[in-house]
Amino acid sequence: MEPLVVLEGLTIRAPSRLLVQDVSLEVQARRVTALVGPSGAGKSLTARAAMGVLDVEPGLERGSLRYPALGPDDWFRGVAGGGPRAQRRLLVATRHLRGAYVSYSPQAASSALNPARTIGRQLQLAIGRRAQAPSALAGEIRALLAEVGLGPEVAHALPGELSGGMAQRAALAIAIAPQPRLVIADEPETGLDPVLRRAVVELLVTVCRTHHAGLLLISHHQSTVDRIADDVVTLPPPPGAGEAP
Amino acid sequence: MKARTVQADAPPVVTVQGLVKTFRRAGRWPWSPHREVPAVQGVDLRVAPGEVVALVGQSGSGKTTVSRIVLGLEDPTAGAVLLEGQPWSELPEAARRPRRVHYQYVPQDAMGALDPQQTALEHIVETLVVLGGCPRGEAGPRAQAMLERLGLGARLHALPRELSGGEQRRVTLARVLALDPRLVVADEPTSGLDPDRRESVLEALIGNLPPGAGCILVTHDMSEARGWCHRVLAMLAGRVIEEVDLSVAEPVHPYARILFDPWSAPVPRGPLATTGCPFRPDCPLAVGDLAARCAAEVPTLRTVGPAAHRHRVACHALSADRPSSPAPAAP
Repeated sequence: MEPLVVLEGLTIRAPSRLLVQDVSLEVQARRVTALVGPSGAGKSLTARAAMGVLDVEPGLERGSLRYPALGPDDWFRGVAGGGPRAQRRLLVATRHLRGAYVSYSPQAASSALNPARTIGRQLQLAIGRRAQAPSALAGEIRALLAEVGLGPEVAHALPGELSGGMAQRAALAIAIAPQPRLVIADEPETGLDPVLRRAVVELLVTVCRTHHAGLLLISHHQSTVDRIADDVVTLPPPPGAGEAP
Repeated sequence: MKARTVQADAPPVVTVQGLVKTFRRAGRWPWSPHREVPAVQGVDLRVAPGEVVALVGQSGSGKTTVSRIVLGLEDPTAGAVLLEGQPWSELPEAARRPRRVHYQYVPQDAMGALDPQQTALEHIVETLVVLGGCPRGEAGPRAQAMLERLGLGARLHALPRELSGGEQRRVTLARVLALDPRLVVADEPTSGLDPDRRESVLEALIGNLPPGAGCILVTHDMSEARGWCHRVLAMLAGRVIEEVDLSVAEPVHPYARILFDPWSAPVPRGPLATTGCPFRPDCPLAVGDLAARCAAEVPTLRTVGPAAHRHRVACHALSADRPSSPAPAAP
């Protein structure tokens, strides 16, 4: 089967130092690729680059990004070494993919959700990214919530009314609502207690498997990675590692 | 860090007896009836001079409430807190205020606890002058010495936003430690930090506690409890379900074991039971003849293993059926 994303030789530079050096990874459907490494190693930058999001300057130096399941194009062609303008062009060109082909489950779910919109409305917007609209929207929202273990009443709740674990589940429901082929989860366990941590990670993997999606998981917890990852990509510590802000 | 000497025979820094706290929450609408939320349902706790005690448990298990009541930031519904053998929780605020400087709190959100317009050094100086009663001339060098001890010597004049997460935490620690506290309550001082930075923050806190000071560490991270604490209290639904010194024994309560190794058993599906043992619905031990007892009776902490280990667990299946000894003095 074609991989969902192939990132090769990714090298990203900040004015004073290299942030990411020669990182390659690939994610297959129904499989979990874990991205691990110490803080400052560029895990989040790498995951964002895999979605076509590059926002440091001067930025991408080398590398290629392909979505073989979609086509043979190298999205980084002409961007590498092109500076911020080229990166912004890439951002626009890949916009239709984010929240449709690839979706993102954020680190601090409770602060990443829109505080002024109910979970149901946010799910509705996410479902709107699908190629084909579902026949019954309300039923679809209920089904998504049930899949992540939330009751239908959560659709009427604002993010502020949810506990940390529920917010993380809601964020996951929103991430899978567009039926993406690839889910990128950036430390979904942050701030959760150990039992919830396991529950959320297990749920993430189960949901991705049932939807035939691939999962790129950033994690700090070796025990999590050992249990669920099919492939592990380890980033080296940043060169001249001090305490980066 | 276990090198810290615990004065087990000295009078405890903290004594908590039968602590109960019920919050009254407003209903959804102003005219809806109030809901009673039981947060803590009978907790006993002692912290000896020099001892570091971890409170662990899932979100909502009451760890933060206990730690806030110990410091007098909340008033208990029932039960009492004694600090250094003196009454504390029943005193009026005016009587508590002069003593508060000895009992310090390390917040979870360091950035929110720092003044965005003060440098690291100014934070400590201000604290020493206002709370510590230290003359301004003396406060400067003392503050600087404390920051240097915590490895912030090069960052004295940095503003909070110029500091990394770990450095911000260490400023909040320096501020607490500069006051020579006799008790430090730290509420998840490492939350949100990367695991590789957590060690250094804990080392800064526990390595620099004044000798004889007690410390309560609220944490989600079991490796912290293992590496840095003399005793661990695992909480569930407002009660302590197990008290264990990890250097001599491993947790035995089925729920405590899940806390320590979440992958060791199926995730509890919840919800917790409201009568009897709260963990009953997911408990592999609440079967057979025991099931009725687990459903009817809330288990109390009883000693398991050698008495010297001071290992206590609240489980009908695990503790021998004998009357619990009258609250043995904790180490």
